[in-house]
Amino acid sequence: MDRSQISAVLQVLKKYNLKGTEDLLRKEANLADNEETLQQESDVSSVLTGYKSDGDPETYEASYTELKNFVESSLDIYKHELGTILYPVLVHMYLELVYNGHTEKAISLMKQFGPEQDPYYRDDLKKLAMVTKRDQMKGNELSDTFKSNQFIIRMSRDTLSLLKRHLNDKKASVLLNIIQEHLYFDMYEGVARNKGQIAATSGAVGGEAKRQDNKAKVYYGIPKVPDIQSLAAPVEDEEEGVDQDNPDKPKKKKAKKDPLFSKKTKSDPNAPPTDRIPVPDLKDNDKLEKVKALREASKRVTLGPDSLPSCCCYTLLNANYSVCCVEITEDSSMLAVGFNDSVVKVWTLIPQKLKTMKSAEQLEEVNVESEDVLVRMMDERSGETSRTLCGHGGAVYSVSFSPDRTLLLSCSEDTTIRLWSLQIWTCLVVYKGHMFPVWDVKFSPLGYYFASASYDRTARLWATDHYQPLRLFAGHFSDVDCIQFHPNSNYVATGSSDRRVCLWDCTTGNYVRLMTGHKSPIHALAFSICGRFLASAGTDGMILIWDLSHGHLVAELTGHEKTVHCLAFSRCGNVLVSGGLDCSLKIWDFTKLTEDMSSEEVNVSHNPDVKTGDNYLLRSFATKSSPFDKFTLH
Amino acid sequence: MSKLNENDLYGTNFSIESMKVIAEGIGIGNLVDDAAKELAEDVSFRLKHIIQDAAKFMNHAKRIKLLSSDVDCALKAKNIEPQYGFQSAEPLPFRFASGGGRELHFIEEKEVDINDLLQNLNPKAPLDCTLRSHWLFIDGVQPTIPENPPPVAKNVQKLESVDPINKKPAKETSGKPSTGKQKLRNVETVQIKQLATHELSVEQQLYYKEITEACVGSDEARRAEALQSLSSDPGLHEMLPRMCTFIIEGVRVNVVQNNLALLIYLMRMVKALLDNQSLYLEKYLHELIPSVTTCIVSKQLCMRPDVDNHWALRDFASRLMSQICKNFNTSTNNIQTRVTRMFTNALHQGEKVPLSSLYGALQGLSELGTEVVRIFVLPKIRNIGARIETHLEGSLMSNNVDKIASGHIKQLLVKVLAPILKSIRNMPDNIDEYKQDYGYLGVALYNAVIKARTQPNLVTTTVSSNMANSPITCSSTITRTATTPSGIIQQNTNAGRTIVMNPSPRIPTQQGNQKFVFVTQRPQTPVGTSHPSQTNASVTGQNTVVKFVSNTNQASQKMTTQQKLVVVSSQMGQSTFSAQNSGMVSPGNQPAATLISKSSFTIQQQQQQGQPSVDDLSHLA
Repeated sequence: MDRSQISAVLQVLKKYNLKGTEDLLRKEANLADNEETLQQESDVSSVLTGYKSDGDPETYEASYTELKNFVESSLDIYKHELGTILYPVLVHMYLELVYNGHTEKAISLMKQFGPEQDPYYRDDLKKLAMVTKRDQMKGNELSDTFKSNQFIIRMSRDTLSLLKRHLNDKKASVLLNIIQEHLYFDMYEGVARNKGQIAATSGAVGGEAKRQDNKAKVYYGIPKVPDIQSLAAPVEDEEEGVDQDNPDKPKKKKAKKDPLFSKKTKSDPNAPPTDRIPVPDLKDNDKLEKVKALREASKRVTLGPDSLPSCCCYTLLNANYSVCCVEITEDSSMLAVGFNDSVVKVWTLIPQKLKTMKSAEQLEEVNVESEDVLVRMMDERSGETSRTLCGHGGAVYSVSFSPDRTLLLSCSEDTTIRLWSLQIWTCLVVYKGHMFPVWDVKFSPLGYYFASASYDRTARLWATDHYQPLRLFAGHFSDVDCIQFHPNSNYVATGSSDRRVCLWDCTTGNYVRLMTGHKSPIHALAFSICGRFLASAGTDGMILIWDLSHGHLVAELTGHEKTVHCLAFSRCGNVLVSGGLDCSLKIWDFTKLTEDMSSEEVNVSHNPDVKTGDNYLLRSFATKSSPFDKFTLH
Repeated sequence: MSKLNENDLYGTNFSIESMKVIAEGIGIGNLVDDAAKELAEDVSFRLKHIIQDAAKFMNHAKRIKLLSSDVDCALKAKNIEPQYGFQSAEPLPFRFASGGGRELHFIEEKEVDINDLLQNLNPKAPLDCTLRSHWLFIDGVQPTIPENPPPVAKNVQKLESVDPINKKPAKETSGKPSTGKQKLRNVETVQIKQLATHELSVEQQLYYKEITEACVGSDEARRAEALQSLSSDPGLHEMLPRMCTFIIEGVRVNVVQNNLALLIYLMRMVKALLDNQSLYLEKYLHELIPSVTTCIVSKQLCMRPDVDNHWALRDFASRLMSQICKNFNTSTNNIQTRVTRMFTNALHQGEKVPLSSLYGALQGLSELGTEVVRIFVLPKIRNIGARIETHLEGSLMSNNVDKIASGHIKQLLVKVLAPILKSIRNMPDNIDEYKQDYGYLGVALYNAVIKARTQPNLVTTTVSSNMANSPITCSSTITRTATTPSGIIQQNTNAGRTIVMNPSPRIPTQQGNQKFVFVTQRPQTPVGTSHPSQTNASVTGQNTVVKFVSNTNQASQKMTTQQKLVVVSSQMGQSTFSAQNSGMVSPGNQPAATLISKSSFTIQQQQQQGQPSVDDLSHLA
């Protein structure tokens, strides 16, 4: 915030007679009263409007045409990079004309040059075209974004100097103003990029990501399981205890030891320190589960082009447009569905029924010391195949199971997030914080934390025992549509309608990666098992693969015709599966993709060539007419 | 992505006129033009905004249809009171009407009878959402179960049948991505139509065997299962030619043997195939239609025409025919027209047509709709009436069979014609006029029409309920006849009797006692059938062995010692038929006795053949 902005804020405070705040701000900003002059009065309006211009409305069209001619007549190597300024210049010219009341001029400008822009800007241009009056600009998401943010364009030094020379020669004041005020050039050394490279990263609402945005280090590795040593001890103790009772089984211990610990000895250099984010200690029960999971992992079949997965498809019948979201537990034992009519339903997918806990009086009778206390506290007679959770006041847009399968989160159109117990089948907490419908909610892979994404353009990080958010991730220009935890729980990725994917650091709350390249709102995110890659997909059916180490777009998988709503990696990390509204499910060979990637040399500042397509598609399966919502791979 | 054109950018706005209309609607008489213009712009802007927001809610509910609830949510998010009471069952409640150069969208508001509302106190509750699971694919292979889409889509099947050259080179790669290289290579090669090899896998052969056995076997529960499988399995198209051949061969043989039960089973198979949504049956209609027609109009379908209920089979087959006409009639194949003409010809032949065939033809026509009946049956009613009168009234000269047939015809005609007469004749019904116009049937029709007029809806409902029930009823009666122990009725129909059609000679044609094996190699060739079986049928009761004879013309030398009946359709399009025991041996090279010409559904009877043909269509041709 610069000085003029602060004084503008002061002005506003004064206007509304907020004396206390004004004094405080004045003090903190070290502004003396006497600095306030009449001149600042005009500053206020300039900061707030940003579009005041005395330019002759007749000159806009001419100067845009001139700029276009300049771009077209420039050398081929610079042409494409220069071309990127045409869209923001057109948008700002349009807004300036509208702001100053020259509606006809603005419309004719848009009609003349709008259709020439890249097709992925089409939706935004349509939205902008709705704005034809000055008072319509206020409150319009897109015009606000353009007004208050600089459009970022990456350009090589040569191209930029070429552009500057041109601007100085022509002295086109309208153009110069716009470029100075609303465009930000992120200059880099080296050769100008070609058309494909530019197209790969353009498309987002606010322009491309700055190089600075992706400089921070990301600990994308998976830390070795922190409690593995501490875990080993109690388990062994327990074993020994058993052994003493049953001396006939001495062999078991040995057999268990080798697969568990040999693999995990090497620590990933990119992994965050284990204490980077605090996590509550694991309960005994969780530890047992972990050991079980690890042991099962060693039996897993590795997927690949030769051993394709199997897929069990669960279809909801008689749903009639009412299903909004579906989630399956990690071990495929339960399925939760969020409905349009504000209920959440949980089905069991295994013969074991959904039981409820015994009443308080009965619980007192249960022997706490007993081995199977967890089983004993459940009421055997209460088993049901499905249970309904009522409480929300609007469509339920997302549900998420906790890793230990005892809790369920749901978020709704009624702006709340609810935490449900899957043992007593009631709502435990209502988290209120978002002011607008919440689109997505996800439990962290370690439990305890969860993250939500909302219509209010923020994503928030919560802990189950705090009723207020711990972190607020703000920066998206539009709705945050989807959110996903990094496998190491230190980061959260968000996808937004502003066509940008962001990676946020949970400890600082800052964004560490900003990835542009999507050409449509993003609706699905998935981290690779290794933690290095992020897959994202949106309404145009394109699946993009990002390398988090530098924030580069590495692959673009096309094939879907409609919105992709779910992405999932197999547990071995070899296969990526996508599914969506076009009623088809596609399996992609991720191993081949990563091999191809690693064979290329990495250029830190530039986006590498983007791999496309068909080569990685293994299989595509269609259903009759059921769109896919969610899947987990095992 | 297509190029954006300039009209897309600004879309449509409300016109000043619509603003004025709305203003009038709320009682503002004369809205100034400027105000209307200002309003129109503002309203358009706001509406677009709201719709844009509503689309977000639609996307997040994972739909591609915008519902009114989405608009409500968008309004709520903007802190505007939602529009209560605008729930509609359909996504788009508007109907479109145009006329006189004007176009109009309106909301259709149906009139609701208050009595209906009062009587249905509890409207049907919507079904609860339930979960169903199936394998979408197993180890990367998609099983062909009803839940999954058929491996070869119907339109692809259609394309294949219309243009076999364009058939995709490798069908099994349908899941895999096709690479550009293959296509390039294909450009230069000359496309030669591959000799179609319709090889079935072992599983398919087993399936085929199981299904066909179950369909014609004696276990009703198994049959129901098999028919269910036929009507719902998506992966049948490869077996379709075999299935069709099985049916037509079966019909051909069993008509000759007057085996009513089996004919009904076969017709139920046809029904199941027709019901299967994933099959493209058009390719096999030329084979199926004659078979179905046979079951409608054949002179004799059962051993004892006076006792057995072959009428049910005729009714059922007629319904099948009307279903075929409904499903497959196009302007190029004119199925309905040709079928109608065929049945009508039977009516024109007068006394030559047996009464049972006449009944079939009438039933077939009546299933094709009231219009058909009105045009083709009504003018003939006097002649028909005169003919059945001789059998019904003059009891001395006619036998029992004819009398029953006449009774059925009368019943049918009265049932079908009464609603038509009711609508085309004017109110004062005069019995004499009826007599004059419709002859013998006049009285009965008069009574029926009078009855229909007093009970308005009764006739149509009984007809429809008949239609719904009769497959069940006829099947139950048939099972009873089939299992009757009496050896006189149907010597060949014992409990253990099965018909097996082997798709390829690989499966040994073993049989125990009394089994018929029909083997075909080329299902698509028109095949002659054994006709002299009336003599045969009486003899083959004891021990029948059927042997496969591969397309040779020397069948007569390969005869076994026992009595046997060999039915083979060979590649040459000739039937080699031999029946040894009774000394009645047809020469091996005898040309096909009955040819069914593919293009028209008529049957040309060979002149040298003295006996009635398998297919009574010859009477109609």
